[in-house]
Parts: sequence; C-alpha cells; structure tokens
Amino acid sequence: MSSCCNTKDTLASTKGILTVALAGNPNSGKTTVFNGLTGLRQKVANYPGVTVERKTGRCRLPGGTVAHIIDLPGSYSLISRSPDEQIAMEVLRGLRADTAAPDAVVVVVDASNLQRNLYLVSQLIEMGKPLVVALNMMDVAERRGLHVSPQRLAKQLGVPVVPVVAHKRKGIEQLKRAILEAKVAPMPDWPLPQEMREELLLVGGGLGLLTPQQNLERSKATAERLLIGDRAADLHEIWKQEPVAALLDHAGRRLARLGIDPMQADIEAHYRWIDAVAASSLVPAGQPLAEPDQTRGYAARATLTDRVDAILVHRFWGLVIFAAVMASLFVTIFWLAQPIMNGMQNGIVFVGHWLTHRLPQGPLKSMLNDGVIGGVGTVIAFVPQIALLFFFLAILEDSGYLSRAAFLMDKLLARVGLHGKSFIPLLSSFACAIPGIMAARTIESRRDRLATILIAPFMSCSARLPVYALLIGTFFASHSALVQAGIMLGCYALGILAAVATAWVFKRSLLKGGATAFILELPSYKVPQLSQVARQVWLNAGEFVTKAGTTILAFSVVLWALAYYPRLPAGREQAALLGGGPNAVTAAQSEYSFAGRVGHAMEPALRPLGFDWKMGVGLVGAFAAREVFVSTMGITYAVGDVENGTRNLSAAMRADRYADGRPVWTPLVAISLLVWFVLALQCMSTVAIARRETGGWRWPIFMLVYMNLLAYAVSLAVYQVGSHLGYA
Amino acid sequence: MEKVCTLPQRNHSVSPGTCRLNELGIGCTARVVSVGGDAELRRRLLEMGFCNGAQVQAIRRAPLGDPIEFSLRGYHLSLRKEQARHVKVAPAAGETAGHETE
Ligand SMILES: Nc1nc2c(ncn2[C@@H]2O[C@H](COP(=O)(O)OP(=O)(O)OP(=O)(O)O)[C@@H](O)[C@H]2O)c(=O)[nH]1
Ligand SMILES: [Mg+2]
Repeated sequence: MSSCCNTKDTLASTKGILTVALAGNPNSGKTTVFNGLTGLRQKVANYPGVTVERKTGRCRLPGGTVAHIIDLPGSYSLISRSPDEQIAMEVLRGLRADTAAPDAVVVVVDASNLQRNLYLVSQLIEMGKPLVVALNMMDVAERRGLHVSPQRLAKQLGVPVVPVVAHKRKGIEQLKRAILEAKVAPMPDWPLPQEMREELLLVGGGLGLLTPQQNLERSKATAERLLIGDRAADLHEIWKQEPVAALLDHAGRRLARLGIDPMQADIEAHYRWIDAVAASSLVPAGQPLAEPDQTRGYAARATLTDRVDAILVHRFWGLVIFAAVMASLFVTIFWLAQPIMNGMQNGIVFVGHWLTHRLPQGPLKSMLNDGVIGGVGTVIAFVPQIALLFFFLAILEDSGYLSRAAFLMDKLLARVGLHGKSFIPLLSSFACAIPGIMAARTIESRRDRLATILIAPFMSCSARLPVYALLIGTFFASHSALVQAGIMLGCYALGILAAVATAWVFKRSLLKGGATAFILELPSYKVPQLSQVARQVWLNAGEFVTKAGTTILAFSVVLWALAYYPRLPAGREQAALLGGGPNAVTAAQSEYSFAGRVGHAMEPALRPLGFDWKMGVGLVGAFAAREVFVSTMGITYAVGDVENGTRNLSAAMRADRYADGRPVWTPLVAISLLVWFVLALQCMSTVAIARRETGGWRWPIFMLVYMNLLAYAVSLAVYQVGSHLGYA
Repeated sequence: MEKVCTLPQRNHSVSPGTCRLNELGIGCTARVVSVGGDAELRRRLLEMGFCNGAQVQAIRRAPLGDPIEFSLRGYHLSLRKEQARHVKVAPAAGETAGHETE
C-alpha cells in the first residue's frame, strides 16, 4: 500500500483549475461541506434527497489553486436507480456533456454510519479517480460511542481522510489542504469466490487485448462492472462488441452453473472488505460494527431517536400527531399571520397616501397610489404569512420528521398508487410546486414519479396563500376565527383530495403498473439548526419580495394602465354624472377602460361561476403569478375608488355592487373563486419545470388542460348548486 | 425481562430455523441468511447491507401495518412487507433485544 504523503504528483502541480466532485450517501452532509468550502448557501436539511441537481461553486485551495466544487445528489451506489442518483453517477464518471469530468472526488462519509457509507467508497475506489474522504458527522459518531480513527481509516484506504464536523465548519480548512493530496486508492483485493476471480481475469484479459492502453487492474475493474450488470453509458461501446459479449456470456454461464450470482458475490465481497476496514478503523480496534447488542454506540442511539420515535411513530399517537402537525401548520399560518397582515395592509395604504398626497390629481398620482401601492403593496402585506409557512417547513425538514411522515403515509399513498417517497415532493409543493416537482427525482419508478408530478400542483402553494387569506378575511370576517381557519384548512384539504383522486384515476389508467419497491432510510433526529431555519425563511421571504418588486410590479403597472386608460370622453362623463352621481362615473370609467372591455368580453364564460369582469381580469393576470390576482383587486378597486382610498381593500370589495344593486361579492362567490384557485394550474413556471422533468410537452400540456377543466367544472358546480340551494 | 424471539409458526416455504424478514417479531434480532426477489430488488437490498449474515432488528411497524422499520449495520431503514418478504433471516434463539421488554 502506498503512503499518502507522496507529494510528487499532487494535483496542484499538474492542473491550473481543479474540478472536484462531492460524492456520498444521501444525507451524509455533502451540501454542508459544499457550503463550507465555497461559502455558498445551498439548501441543507435532515432527510435523504435534499439535493437533486448538481451545483457548482469556487473554492480557493492553499497555495492559490482554484477549485470548481460540484455538489451532487446523494447516492447509495454508482449503479443508479433514480434520476438524482443518475446525475451523480454521470458527473462522477464524466459522462455529462455539461460538466467537466472531475479531477478528484471528495467522498463525504457519515462516520456514524460507516459501513453502508463505505460501500459507495468501495465503488469509487474501483473508478480509479484521486480520492479524499471527508469523515463527516464526527460529533454524532462520538456521541454514540463510535470512535472512528481517521488515521487508521486512511491507512486502510490509502487515501487522505479528514475528520469533519461540517455544520460547525470544523475540518474544512484541513479538507482544502487534503484535496491537493488526493490519491488514487490502491485497488483492494476483494475477497471474491475463486471462480469469480478466474472469470474476471479471463474477461479482464480479453478487454486488455481490445484496449491495450489500460493496465490489467483497470481492465479487471471494467470486467467486474460488466459482469455484475452495470450498463452505464461509458460501457456501451465495450459490451456491445461481439467478443466481449461472448466472453461475458460464457463467464456468466459458468458462474451460474456453479451457483454463483456475480452481482451478489461482488456486493458481498465489498461488504466483507468493508467489515474488515470498519473494524480496524474503530478505536479500540476490532470492535465489531455489525453487532448492535454489543456495540455501546448503537445502544446510545436507541435511547434518543428511538425514544422520540416511540411516540412520533406510535401505532395510535403517531397518526394523531401527524394529523395535528399538518393541521396546525396551516391553521397557525392563518391565525398568527392574519392580524399582522391586516395591520400591514392598513399601514401600506396609509404610507401610500402620505407619500403621494402632495402630488396633483392625475395619471402619475393614480399610477403610484393605485398601481404600485394598490398592486404591489397588497401583495407585500402577505410576507408574514409566507415567512411563517417557510419557518414551519424548515423546522420539519431539519428535524428528521419528514422521513417518518413518509413512513407513516406510505400505506395510504400506496392505496392510491403512490409511494411513501411521494410525500416529501408533495409537502414541498405546499411551499411551491417547482421544488416539489424536482424533489420527485428521488422516486425510482418513472410511473410513480410522473403520477407525483401530475398531482403536485394541487397542493396549495405559498402563492395561493395571499388569495385565500384575502378572500377568507374579507368575506368571512363576521365568522369566528375558528370558522375562518376551518375554511383555510378546507382549501388545503380540497387540494389534497383532488390530488389523491386524480392519482387514483391515473394509476388505474394512464400510468398502470405494479407496486414498486419502497426502501427509505430514516435518519436520526436532530435539533433543527436555527441558522438553517432562519436562512430558509430569509431566502424564501426575500424571493417573495423580489417577485413582488419585479414580476408583480411590472404586471401591476400594466394592469393599472389597462384599468385607467382610455379615459372617458368628457361628454360621457358629464352624462354619467348627471345620470347617477360620482359612483356612476366610476362604473362607466372602469367599463370604458381596456381592462373593462377585456373583462366584459370574458364575462359570459365566467358568469356561471359567479365571477364578474374584475375577477376575470384578475384570473387572466393570475397566469403571470397567482398573487397578481390580489394586486388586480387592489388596483381595480383603488382606481375606481371615488373617496380616493380611505378604505382598505376588503371594505371596498364588500361594498361593490352590480348596477341592479346586488352585491358583486357574496360568500358563495368567494367560495367558488377559492375552489378555482385550489384546483387551477395557473403557474407557467410549473408548466416549464414539468416539461423539463418529464422530458417533453406532452405531460405539461395534459396537466394544464385537465387541471383547469377540473377547476372550471368544480367551481361551476359549487356556484350553481349553491345558488339553487339559496345561498346567494 | 428479555424478549425471547421464537419463529413464526407458518413457514413451510423456507428452510427450518429461518423465517422471512417481514415475519420477524418486533424487537427481535436475526441474521440475514439470503436475499431473493428480482435482480433489481436483490441488488438494492444487498447494497443497503442485507448480506454476509448481517444482524437485523425489527424496530416497529408503521401505524397502518406497513412498512416496517428495521435497524441494520447501525442505521435505520424502512421496507414494505412486499420487499421484506424476500429477505430470509435466522432468528438467534433466545436473542436479547433492547426493546419491548415484557
Ligand atoms: N451533527 C452533525 N450534523 C451535520 C453535520 N454535517 C451535516 N449535518 C446535518 O446533516 C443533515 C444533512 O446535511 P446535508 O448537507 O443536507 O446532506 P447532503 O449529503 O447534502 O444530503 P442530500 O442532498 O439529501 O444527499 C443536515 O441537517 C445538516 O445540518 C455534522 O458534521 N454533524
Ligand atoms: Mg445535499
């Protein structure tokens, strides 16, 4: 075994800029290490499958070498099963056109779960790239009484091993230094059955003749991959060749006669080697890792996470707590945030008037007051709610509860043809369908993944929250807070119900197929890191504000212009004033505007749902971003407001009347509109991401059609049935 | 008191002294004997560490009865019964387990 201090051919001396990939099992802390190395702030959380894309950042290594660091999705094996594992495998093997092949690989190993983490290390060793092991979670391992010695592990593996506590940034500087000393590990002598060794030698020798530039060791490693059924793209050229296929076939048949399954024999040999490596890396050496009853560490683990789990995943209480967690998530958002939000809304109106009261009456004042403040301001008022939602989600994500929730819900989800692993994508969709749809990458079966993507937008995302809150807060204000929160919960429940029902239908029609395997790791609980939670809240609230300042601002100004122009000709204004006073002028003006004309053109289609032309304009605007509906209301009511906006939006909406004196808004209209917002797919970014993730336009167009048809049909039914039953 | 794990009664399909992983009593520990199922499932289970006689402990069933949580090689994972069925284990007679003392 070579020493690991050979500085002659270090990476720094051979290359200008290094490309370094971060590999490792899911949830081993790769992204935390990545953030430490690059100073970036990619999302970190305590469940497997947080990172589903490759991300790059720069890091300056000691001596001035610059490294491009690539953070990868976690994988248990280089033989990939799910799309996220596939990405990791392809980057590591240099098979992706968009990413340079890495010069070195940093394997992030969870020291508290050494054996299974070493399996991926054993595969990376065979890959023959320079390696560094970042032995992460040293604190957790120590707490469990597992003393892993980095020196001994380094000696066993023949590559640098750096102890790291990534979230405390311990060991990051040492890791930077070690990257420069990355080494190709010596190939271990896997304890394979003798017959399999012989076959590997035979096939390897044959490959050696075809590719003479490779040494026998590399040819044997390739032979091993081929024999165990690895069909990654870099092997296509090789195994399609006639002589190779014949050799493999022969070897496979001989081993089969002997009762040896090469794949199984190979994995078992790797694990036998791992058992030896792990045992001699523990202090005191020789303590067997595989004996849960004898290793003090496992007993220690049992005390904390298992004690918590005894309650959280309890036969009865588990479900009660799950329901309570989910319900309180949505109810508290509404409850806690509503008063803050009302205050903010009034504050914004007040500030707007204070800022503009000196301006002369006219288009400029109207644009600032009605367009910008009425439009963007009403949306900004929802920041507290968005922040609260992300606060709760971040706590759930970083505690480790999400994997338990997936465990609890798997049976129910399986009943409608989904998968426990659909739970996290669906829960993420309550924040936004875009990360939700991307999180579906962790689902191995394409059918299950498609089903999850197709229903994810039914989960009420944070962009719908302002619409729900506005409508509920305005039209159910006289009801108790409990009723209001109940309606809020009802909106979320309706989305879930629609998702479950459509999943059930799809899995019995379009996406028919058998049940798929469910193998899910349950990480230990952790106290959520406050900094992590705060960062999630800050980032997402910031994104919401940015969106309000860009997309929504632009649309608000456009909408304002559409609602303000063209002005009524003086003659018509006079006529209206004489006919019905200032209110009639306003009504005539709105109808005369562009928005009014568009809205009126749509009215025949919307009338059966109970919507008037203003709502129609809002619904069109909502296709830019759902929050635009709220700003549309803010604008149309502000532009039309004769008393020049001393009332807030809710009051203006409640006071709105049709020409015949009927109120425009009734609780039934509000409910019908809520139903529309729950069910309709209005978000073009979601459509775009669905296109990317499903690899074509077929599914996103299908989603757009079926969801909006469903929304129309259900809103129609609600309004029509409601009116006939006498609810106005 | 220590929990003594006995074999489930109906196991005609497997050799004497072994049972399927989904039949392993909650709190009981056993050694992996073999892994079956189609190649894809077998590979996944083996890669997750169900090999070489590793010790597995059944921790709990999900409230709805499925999946089941296991601990093996120092970590926890859950499998549906449908997958656990393919793992044959040999419960160590009189094996002690830290859980569910009765
Ligand atoms: N106690 C402890 N926790 C850590 C350490 N490093 C990371 N964590 C936590 O472990 C969890 C997983 O970290 P991530 O960086 O998201 O893991 P990952 O490998 O990127 O996970 P995936 O992207 O899902 O593959 C987070 O909750 C981190 O805060 C460590 O050294 N000690
Ligand atoms: Mg990550």
